[in-house]
Order: sequence, then C-alpha cells, then structure tokens
Amino acid sequence: MPNAEYFATTELREALRLLAERGDQITVLAGGTDLAPKFNCRELQPGALLYIGKLGLNYIIAKNGGLAIGAATTLEDLATSRLVLERAPVLAQAAAEMGNPAIRNVATIGGNLVTASRAADMPPPLLALDAELILVSERGERVIPIGEFFKRAHKTVRLSDELLTEIRIPSVKGQTAFVRHGRRKIFSCCVASAAVRVVLDGGKCADARIVAGSMAPTPVRCLGAEGVLKGKNLTSDLAGEAAAQAVGECKPIDDERASAWYRRRVIKVLIERAINQASGL
Amino acid sequence: MKYVLSFTVNGQPMETLAEPTTSLLDVLRDKLEVTSPKRGCESGDCGACTVLVNGKAVPSCLTVALTVAGSEITTVEGLVQDGQLHPLQRAFYEHGATQCGFCTCGMLMAAKALLDRNPSPTRDEIVLGMSGNLCRCGGYVQVMEAIEDVAGRKYEVKAADTRGGK
Repeated sequence: MPNAEYFATTELREALRLLAERGDQITVLAGGTDLAPKFNCRELQPGALLYIGKLGLNYIIAKNGGLAIGAATTLEDLATSRLVLERAPVLAQAAAEMGNPAIRNVATIGGNLVTASRAADMPPPLLALDAELILVSERGERVIPIGEFFKRAHKTVRLSDELLTEIRIPSVKGQTAFVRHGRRKIFSCCVASAAVRVVLDGGKCADARIVAGSMAPTPVRCLGAEGVLKGKNLTSDLAGEAAAQAVGECKPIDDERASAWYRRRVIKVLIERAINQASGL
Repeated sequence: MKYVLSFTVNGQPMETLAEPTTSLLDVLRDKLEVTSPKRGCESGDCGACTVLVNGKAVPSCLTVALTVAGSEITTVEGLVQDGQLHPLQRAFYEHGATQCGFCTCGMLMAAKALLDRNPSPTRDEIVLGMSGNLCRCGGYVQVMEAIEDVAGRKYEVKAADTRGGK
C-alpha cells in the first residue's frame, strides 16, 4: 500500500494505545517469518505495521517453579535456554526442530501462537504443559489457558486491541516427550506431531497429557487417549492402545504436505513413540 | 510511505529509504547494490538470502528492513579482509564447493555464523548448522568438506557416501 505506516515503539503503553485506536487496521509484527512471505508476494498489504521487537518482550525467567516467557522470545533462545531445558524441555525440543538456524534467530513463540497455523509447533508442547497466555490491552489483562486460545485454523481469541505479551508455564510434574514428522527430517513444515506428558506415581500413571499437532484445525488434546493411560501401569501395549484411541480424536485434512489417510497412520506411531519415550519404556 | 533507514553494511554506514513491507534483501540488492544475497524463493525456504545481522544469521527475504535500523549487517562482500579471501571463501574455492554459485553466498554466511558460534563443529553440527541452505546443483558434500577444512579437521569419507573415491 502506498501510504503504509510503520510503528516501532519501545513503550508498551504506546503500542497498546495504537492498538486501541486502530487495532483492526494494524498488523502486529514480531519476527516476521510468517508475515513477510505474504508481503513479498503481495498477498498481504497492511495499512500499518506495529513492530513489537523493541518492547522488551524477549525474555525467559524462572517464575513460581515454572517459567515466564516473553512473546517475542526467539525460537533459538527457547531451544538453547538452560532454564527451558531444565523446566520445560519439551518446549526446547519443539523449538529446536522448527525452521532452520536463520529462521530460529528471528521467529518468535508469540508469532507462532498468534498465526495459529494448523501446523504450528509451539501449541502442542504448551498444551502438554498446561500453559497460560497473557493478552494485554488498554482495558486490562486477560489470562487465557492455552486450550482456550485457538478457535479454528488461523483464528485465536485475541481481539484486535490486544497484544500477546507473555506465555506462562506452571510448575508441572512428570516426564515429557515431543516427536515430530515432516516431509524432510529438518527444515520442513509439520505433517504431524505428538507432545506427551505422563505423571507417574509408583509405576501407575497418575495424570497424562497427549496432544496431537497438525491433525485438526487447532491442536488436539486427546482426552480419550489420556483416559486409556490414567490409573494404569504403563506398558508398550497400553501406549499402543492410547495411540489408537487418539487417532479417532483427530480431524486431519488433505493438504499440500500430506493426506489425511497418511496423517492418521503417522500420528498413531508418533503418539505411541512419545508415550514410550516419556515413560522410559 | 517511505521511512529513512540507517545501518552499517560490512562496516560502512549506509542510509536509504524503505517502505514498511520492504525486505532487507530488497534494500541490500535494489537500493544499496549489495548483490551477494540472492532472491531464491522470497519465502524463507532456500537460504540463498542469508546474511548476518549483528553477527546472527537471518533470512534477509523475511526480514522487514526497517526492523534492523541501527544494526550491523554482514554480507559476503564483507568477508574479504585486506585483499585476502576469508578462509571459508578459500576453502569453498579449493574444495569445488561452488557450481552455479547461486546458493554460495547464503552458504558462506550460514557457515560463518556456524563457525563464529562453534569453531569446532562435529559433522552432525555442520549438517544442522547448514540445514537452512539448499543447493539445487547438489553440491552439499563439497560444502561440508570446505567447512570441516576451515574447522581444522579433514573431512572423513564415511561408508554411506556415494560419491566416487577421492
């Protein structure tokens, strides 16, 4: 657009003021790895860009036994952070397998969440960790459990005057695993992914999170599969049963990366593998 | 509308104008005539546009130019020091790591970023560090050889390599 405007404030208050005034005309820009391809081919021609890279939202801090992560934290920082590797390793694993080194240097966790692609890699581990998202506006702050953040593909509950500022991970128990499948081993969009957390109490599974990514318009908490594991001793056979149950809870589509038929077969393997890895089987 | 944009490129202060959606790649090539980064895909899928911003590898086709105001940009043009080729450039030349040359500049900057961070990478670390750079001529082995050479280790031909004996 010939009169497109650019804002890059260092003050959160100023950013919120802009969003309050003109949020529905403003495109919020973090790393830009999802938006820039659309600028380049003119699919998206924003009237105004608000760059949020200078708002001090790139941080990872210990909080209440868990983590507080700024929305503009890069994937590379997540993948290599000692704190994340200690307290939320499944998140570091997922970040490390996204894109490539150059993309990871600029792409952000917040951008991945707000873009809300079906194939997004940050949602499944965050769902497994019971994360909460902080949306801030001039009207105040909302704390959204991650499971309630996604409405459908490319649509979240964020309103146009709101900014996603922080991702909070509580202190969670259990062992986690993340397994991802793409058309190539690396540097390829996710075809299917599984993020699992199991809480073991004397050999029995006290609690579980089984999340499938790229298998529905939004990330899927496979509650039925979780129910298969709860209260039982974990075995490889049980992991297979839970994985089979999970397939039925997913709604995959055919797209340019894979068919629904293929995805159903792959996710069963990934979930079984992730349960086995998380449980040490 | 156009905004004034200032940064240094290979140590030289530069100033130009850019629209909000103009990429760093467009500014470097079209405004500043720094043509080493290449327009391979404009979607972040090939790595031919890789440059360094404050020492970190970035996909310049996906970098909104205005967001790197005030930064230090490094491109292949900046690798030559006092008329001498950078060790990576010399190694790429000696190992035949360039065929058509289109991916080469992106490969060099990604390799520099890798070695600056990790001067003695293992072969797996080289493969991971270079995973964002595609070569349609298929010249990956020579690129890895060249990087291993600069990292001070001779490239070992493994059993799985299918190219002819050296």
